[in-house]
Amino acid sequence: MIKIENLEKVYKTEEVETTALNGINLHVKAGEFVSIMGPSGCGKSTLLNVMGLLDKPEGGSYKFIDTELLTLNDRERSNFRKRNMGFVFQNFNLIDELTVFENIELPLIYNKVPATERKKLVNEIIERMNIVNRSGHFPQQLSGGQQQRVAVARALVTKPKLVLADEPTGNLDSSHGNEVMELLCELNETGTTIVMVTHSSHDASFSNRIINLKDGHVISEKINKSRNEELI
Amino acid sequence: MFKLNLKIALRNLWRNKGFSLINIGGLAIGLASCMILLLYVAYEWSYDKQFTDHDKTYVVYQNAVANGKTFSWAWTPNAMAPEVKEKIPGVKYASHSTYPNAKLITSGDKKLISTVIFADQSFVKILDYKFIKGNPDQVLKGINTIILTKSFAKKIFGNEDPINKTVTLDNQDVLKVEAVIDDVPANTSINFECLMPWALFEKKESWAKEKNWGSNICLTIVQLQDNKFFAEANADMKGIYKRNQKDKFTADALLHPLDKWHLYSDFENGKSVGGKIDQLKIFLMLAFCILLIACVNFMNLSTARSERRAKEVGIRKAIGSSRKSLISQFLLESVFITFISTILAFALVEISLSYFNNLLNIKLQIDYGNIKFWIALLALMLFAGFMAGSYPALYLSSFEPIKVLKGLKIRTDSSVSIRKILVVIQFVFAACLIVCTSVIYQQLKYAKNKPIGYDKSNLIQISVEGRMREESKLELLKTQLLKSGAASHVTTFSKDITENGNNTTGISWEGKNPNEIILFNNRGIGDNFIETIGTELVSGRVFSDKFPADTNSVMLNEAAVKMMRLKNPIGAIITWGGNTRLTNVGVVKDFVVESAYQKVAPMIFYSSRRDGAAVIIVRLNPNQNISSSLEKIDELVRETEPNYPVRRKFVDESFEAKFQNEKLLGTLSNWFGGFAIFISCLGLLGLALFMAEQRKKEISIRKVLGASTANILGLLNKDFIKLVAIANLIAFPLAYIIINKWLSAFEYRVPISVLPFVLALSISLIIAILTVSIQSVKVAKANPVDALKYE
Repeated sequence: MIKIENLEKVYKTEEVETTALNGINLHVKAGEFVSIMGPSGCGKSTLLNVMGLLDKPEGGSYKFIDTELLTLNDRERSNFRKRNMGFVFQNFNLIDELTVFENIELPLIYNKVPATERKKLVNEIIERMNIVNRSGHFPQQLSGGQQQRVAVARALVTKPKLVLADEPTGNLDSSHGNEVMELLCELNETGTTIVMVTHSSHDASFSNRIINLKDGHVISEKINKSRNEELI
Repeated sequence: MFKLNLKIALRNLWRNKGFSLINIGGLAIGLASCMILLLYVAYEWSYDKQFTDHDKTYVVYQNAVANGKTFSWAWTPNAMAPEVKEKIPGVKYASHSTYPNAKLITSGDKKLISTVIFADQSFVKILDYKFIKGNPDQVLKGINTIILTKSFAKKIFGNEDPINKTVTLDNQDVLKVEAVIDDVPANTSINFECLMPWALFEKKESWAKEKNWGSNICLTIVQLQDNKFFAEANADMKGIYKRNQKDKFTADALLHPLDKWHLYSDFENGKSVGGKIDQLKIFLMLAFCILLIACVNFMNLSTARSERRAKEVGIRKAIGSSRKSLISQFLLESVFITFISTILAFALVEISLSYFNNLLNIKLQIDYGNIKFWIALLALMLFAGFMAGSYPALYLSSFEPIKVLKGLKIRTDSSVSIRKILVVIQFVFAACLIVCTSVIYQQLKYAKNKPIGYDKSNLIQISVEGRMREESKLELLKTQLLKSGAASHVTTFSKDITENGNNTTGISWEGKNPNEIILFNNRGIGDNFIETIGTELVSGRVFSDKFPADTNSVMLNEAAVKMMRLKNPIGAIITWGGNTRLTNVGVVKDFVVESAYQKVAPMIFYSSRRDGAAVIIVRLNPNQNISSSLEKIDELVRETEPNYPVRRKFVDESFEAKFQNEKLLGTLSNWFGGFAIFISCLGLLGLALFMAEQRKKEISIRKVLGASTANILGLLNKDFIKLVAIANLIAFPLAYIIINKWLSAFEYRVPISVLPFVLALSISLIIAILTVSIQSVKVAKANPVDALKYE
């Protein structure tokens, strides 16, 4: 589904140039769950941001089911993003002024889904995420785990083809972290492609394939046998 | 989406109550100030525009050259209107009327002094007043008839139908009420309560019957069939005096649009050069500036809070919002806040309007039934909302999602400098206003304290009415006033001493250049005039019973002597009106009857025995209680003429009216300048709040290293002091240019000193430091660990 070739990204400040991505090649098949790991500053978050069209690389190619995405303009990028992608962030990034229900509803509004259907979809996912009794609450009133579940729900409500998760368990304790990982696995099993950046090999063990980055290069790739066997 | 955005806006407002209060309050005060000023401008602007064909209506002016200057005024001879109607092309109507005059109207035991006009039938055709009762085509035809305004009819007849009832004018003429019209609007130049036929005026004043071109006694109003005739008609008007007076014509005539009568009343060399419109432009600018300051405030505060909103922007962008929809969201938000502010502003306007009306002696009101008002209000609101929201919307929507979502601090350098520029702009306005206001007050004080040539305090004037005009009665009254102890001196004057009018160019003397035309004010004075008003006799003597020849004596003021270049003024022979040989017996020190800002004009005095006195001037006895003196005076006047209410006023109060324009300007710029400064302070408070927040960590580290609260305050204040100082530097030359232009209109003007500038600098600095310190003290005193432990 995703074909990334020779991706380059350089950060420039007045004094120094930092190469974040240095000719990355990466293919992701539909239905795959890929983890990206590596030390701090290896470029894994940059890669994820480029994949989410939140950042523009200097060179290379990024094809999403045969569509070249790097040549799109701003509006096309945001249109593509809202139709095909969902995001889960380390620090949840919920809008504080909106309730749980409204936070989840927001991407549907941007996708111009009619109100009655919106309500149905949001209620469905709230039930699935087990946060029904929280739907009228504001983010600050929830625990970290609950907030992340709301964030996952928001990422999923539009039924995106690709979910991008940036250290989704980074701000959670282990039990809440596991809950979120299990949620992602369930999601993956229903056919959603997931790309996740993580520091934790425990979290990575939930995925099909683990890619290791260092200094903007892919240095190794590992198929996660146990998980693949499970799949079979 | 709309609903959701509105919810976010509301919750945001609620969560940051302090900020919201500053924001909405600032905007509301700005909008309210703007609304009041605009109401005032609209009020002045719509002067005389209530009539159907006001745009085709003109007032006849005459230009007369005298003292080397051209004087222009809307006084014309009684022959003007018929001549214009007959000879000037394209004229539909031409009317002659008197100017508004105070007269006694009685009915039964009701005695009312009313403002009246005598006019011909064309007058109500040109100025189509709204007739409530009576037929506009039939009025003013007879002689003994009268038209009343609604409120005057009510005053005199209560709720009875006034039609065909009678009233008495000056206790002489019994008049039948033939129509009732709606009250004349407050913003009209021709103000009256009763309208009577010109024929009645001619009957009462036989001298007015004779057609003549020499004495300017009427107001002539002309309506053209169409404005395409204007150029031709106006060109024809120019020579109208010459054609009719032939040998010794004194003036030109011109048509001045009725629409411009009020606002463009200043003439120079016979051409309209503005007038009140200049002041109106200042107010319009002030209204715009205050709104701008309020909007700038809003921008400042919204961008200062941007970091709180940055996350929201990031998330929205990440899940697919386009920049356009974010911009429209923020604009919607600012329009929404403006809407709340507008409602608040309404309340403020309604509360303060009666105060301003009292202060400025005008009748402003919000006309809720007028669709134009609502359109203007909507336009104002949207304008303010979009203007205030534009920069924050563009700025906030430009955030890059990954940066804000990663929790990185957004780089705020550029926005800080823009915010600084905005604060500088605000303080430029504020400093300008302080300088201008203080110079206006200086000028006002200077003009008021400038010696006017006589002592106006404890001096009262009583109108001479009815039987008081009889010489014996007047003399008796004067004696009684002195005897009663209420008055220390009493005299008479042929005109209200604080008003202009009655002048002549028909004076000549030996050695006069025959081509030179000098305009003299002429006044009749009674005995003891010099002592009563407290002026001085420079040379010669005053009129006296001891000199029976004084019927042929005149006196001059110093300005007249100077203008006439008389080396030996006493004994100089003067010809007035062609044949009378008069002798000058005394020279009086110059005293002001016209504008306190202009040089005193030449004045010639005659003994008021020759002509009736219009007022009795009384110097109150300083040893008596004023209120009991006044009571005594009223009683004596009433005894002499019981049919008229006593009309008495203090000279110093009447004199104050001369400063009405400048007082209005001073008061308004004081108030609205104050508001502008207040709003600017709110903006500064917001910025200080933001800066202190941003530098929390730096401040904490400094404190850990040993900085005192004072050090920190100094640190935070330094930046703002710099901004305000820069603003003052920009404001000074601007203010100098503006105020210099304003002052140049006055012949007597206060020199521009450094004081207003020092005042502006110190006021703005003190205010800025106070505002910033209130906020920074909190941060400076905070426990340093609070800011550091999260790092």
